[in-house]
Amino acid sequence: MADRSLSTLQLQFRRFRANRLAMFSIFLLAAIVLACFLGPFAFPFTGEDADFDYIAAPVDLLSPHPFGTDDFGRDLLVRVLEGGQISLTIGFLGAATAGIIGVLYGAVAGYAGGRADRLMMRSVEILYGFPYVILVILLSLVLGGGTTALFAAIVFTLWLTPAVIVRAQAQSLAKREFIEAARAGGMTAPQIVIEHIVPNCMSVVIVYGSLLVPEVILSESFLSFLGIGIKEPQASWGNLIQSGTTAMDSDLRLLLLPGILLAAVLFCLNFIADGLRDAFDPNDR
Amino acid sequence: MLRFTLKRLIDGAITLAALVTLTFFVMRLAPGGPFSKSRKVSAEVLAIIEKKYHLDEPIPQQFARYVWGLLHLDFGPSTRFRDYDVGALLASGLPYSLTIGFWAVVVATLIGVSLGIAGALRRNSATDYLAGIVGVVGIAIPIFVIGPLFQVIFALKLGWLPVGGWNDGLRSLILPVLVLSLPNIAYISRITRTSMIEVMRENYVRTARAKGLGAARTIRSHALKGALLPVIAYLGPATAAIITGSVLIETIFAVPGIGRHFVDAALNRDYPLVMGVTVVYGGLLIVFNIGTDLMRGYLDPRVRNGG
Amino acid sequence: MTDDLLSVRDLSVDFRLPAGQMRAVDRISFAIEPGEVLGIVGESGSGKSQILFSLMGLVAANGVASGEAMFGGQNLLALGPKALDAVRGVSVSMIFQDPMTSLNPYMRVGDQLAETLIVHKGMTKTDAWKAAVAMLDRVRIPDAAARARRYPHEFSGGMRQRVMIAMALLVRPALLLADEPTTALDVTIQAQVLDLMAELAQETGTAIILVTHDLGVVARLCDRVIVLYGGRIMEVAPAEVLFTNPQHPYSRGLLASTPRMTDALTPRLGTIPGSPRSGGAMLPGCPFAPRCTVKIGICDSVQPALVPAGGGMAACHLVGGRE
Repeated sequence: MADRSLSTLQLQFRRFRANRLAMFSIFLLAAIVLACFLGPFAFPFTGEDADFDYIAAPVDLLSPHPFGTDDFGRDLLVRVLEGGQISLTIGFLGAATAGIIGVLYGAVAGYAGGRADRLMMRSVEILYGFPYVILVILLSLVLGGGTTALFAAIVFTLWLTPAVIVRAQAQSLAKREFIEAARAGGMTAPQIVIEHIVPNCMSVVIVYGSLLVPEVILSESFLSFLGIGIKEPQASWGNLIQSGTTAMDSDLRLLLLPGILLAAVLFCLNFIADGLRDAFDPNDR
Repeated sequence: MLRFTLKRLIDGAITLAALVTLTFFVMRLAPGGPFSKSRKVSAEVLAIIEKKYHLDEPIPQQFARYVWGLLHLDFGPSTRFRDYDVGALLASGLPYSLTIGFWAVVVATLIGVSLGIAGALRRNSATDYLAGIVGVVGIAIPIFVIGPLFQVIFALKLGWLPVGGWNDGLRSLILPVLVLSLPNIAYISRITRTSMIEVMRENYVRTARAKGLGAARTIRSHALKGALLPVIAYLGPATAAIITGSVLIETIFAVPGIGRHFVDAALNRDYPLVMGVTVVYGGLLIVFNIGTDLMRGYLDPRVRNGG
Repeated sequence: MTDDLLSVRDLSVDFRLPAGQMRAVDRISFAIEPGEVLGIVGESGSGKSQILFSLMGLVAANGVASGEAMFGGQNLLALGPKALDAVRGVSVSMIFQDPMTSLNPYMRVGDQLAETLIVHKGMTKTDAWKAAVAMLDRVRIPDAAARARRYPHEFSGGMRQRVMIAMALLVRPALLLADEPTTALDVTIQAQVLDLMAELAQETGTAIILVTHDLGVVARLCDRVIVLYGGRIMEVAPAEVLFTNPQHPYSRGLLASTPRMTDALTPRLGTIPGSPRSGGAMLPGCPFAPRCTVKIGICDSVQPALVPAGGGMAACHLVGGRE
């Protein structure tokens, strides 16, 4: 007999904590998030204030603009941090929304089975037939093209994957005896879905859902890069990188600062997702 | 095998039909018709324009007209490039996009699979770590960051390759294809490595070893097939990712392909062009998915019989 | 004995686990003559399969086999991969427990058989295929020529194991290693498959080492039996001797817990108290001591040696005239 018996969840969290790369990523990510949301307060100006004394100033750690300014005199660091706020907020909120929608859809489809399941999954298949970028841009146009439209478009394209995964899980769960017992005990279908199916899918959801956050951030960034997402003068890492490319032959920092931060955030999220996968599904290595 | 193929073809046709329908109605619902951005025109001129683009007809009729046109490969006129047919625009851009996309898939698969197999067979060696690094970089650093960076390094600073455009023949291809394939190299090498490790543990590989077939033959005849199946399954989504990426690549490297047209059309609300690109890309993806499904059916006898 | 086909001396298999070292097989020595059928009997965890794996170089990456296994003038345990490949599949063949996963699902059955002939005997594909079909016929697969073109999942469990036997004996090896060949099969099929193995082995003159936990299998096929417990040999004896006059307490316990047609109807089956050893270092004394009902003082501290007893050999302080 084992001398200590830990719940499965505790075991999984222990495994995660032992993964140093993942833990480091969490700290780094937390640091970046804090910097983005609290950092701008350290400066007396915002990212949209033009400082005419310092137009296109280079990196000078001692000046009031440590990382310099752009052609309009706007402080680069503050713009990047503010852009981070947008990208990160959309990222986490979007992933959560897409996740919830996807999980519910998948759980219902998987549990219901039969015609309902086939119909629901057919629709998913068809939506999958659209190349991702096409779908997002189309939707963004249809919905008017602002920030909300962007958010809705991204969520609407990304809920598909969690739905497919949860549905597979729900399908195999629906056949298990404890579900039959619940039905025999008089639980209604919605109750069963919410109280039994969804919680039992959680580990799968966490593992695959954690990849949703970087996907959303990436989507928003490249849409903004293309000019279809967040538009000037509001900053987002995507459009900052885009303006960076126009100046890259002379001044790399406009490209590098947002680029490095974006890459760092995506790195961290990917390692965290990997860590979660290792912790919750050890067969994978 | 025949029935399997037929079933896939029919599925594909249905999906394509749904795609076209959905696109059409999505476009009609979108706010901001093609002309709201241009200068104010009088009511009569507006009526004439509407008539020209058949916008005054009831929607089902417009839809029927559109589908009929599609069957003749007529995508209708572009609302932005007044003198051009969407079909002509697509035709001019498609070869560029297809070339880059094709080579990106090929490069990604070849390099990804090689790295994955090498990593699996020599675990925790230098090769494995190299593959791991490529993997992380490809997945985490976005194309639109790597692209400009490579442009700066290889074109501007080192001058080895052109910054963009299409004038340098083969050399113009190198950077776009390389950058476009990076994320997929990362995913494919990961999938291959995991899959290869799993397959090497299978009982039937143990049997092959017990038969004294030797390492090379064991891997070639027994392990490889099972290991590559997940990779082939991934090729479908990989193509979708490449299509997505090519829109960015064409913008960054100034390639006159249909991805660029798509972005421009979206920004300018040139709906017929948007729809044209959607249908083309969607159709390509469907065809490719059918292709990979058929390949899987051919390679895995169990899939074949299960339908 | 100089005419031994295989002579194993002090074979040990150790595993490196996160919890520490574990010895699965402890200094086993035995020999087998050409054409003989030797059974190795033991419970799960007794290390019996590892003996076979070590002979074939199939021990897992975290395991090490040490000792000597002389076969054809070579020590199998010391051979490099290339040299081993010249022995495996040619002079020594192996069949495994689960025929479903042991056959390549993506390859036609005929190809899997023909492979060994092509690689080891240099036959052409046509000739090898013909020989393969002939062998499938010999193991009584109906419609062998057509069936050879099929895939493993299209065969039933019993047929798959027959395919494996065909595959192993096609090269006419001097020695066949069989790891629980009938465990995964229906009881009704087991007898068929075993008889087939025996028949074929006699034809080709192949010796068999048969590893199993099933005494019925042993009784049906084996000339001699080794009883294994906790990685060590408890008793070695000719089959009839073991079944009529077992010496070691463990052997006696095993036989007592096997119901027989000739037994009177008793209310309970005999059992051996306790559970098999699981992991960890070897105990200083007899491995069976913790569960032995007749042990004496020194059993826990001194390992008993294999001594002649009642027609065979046994490792027990209580036998061999040393009561």
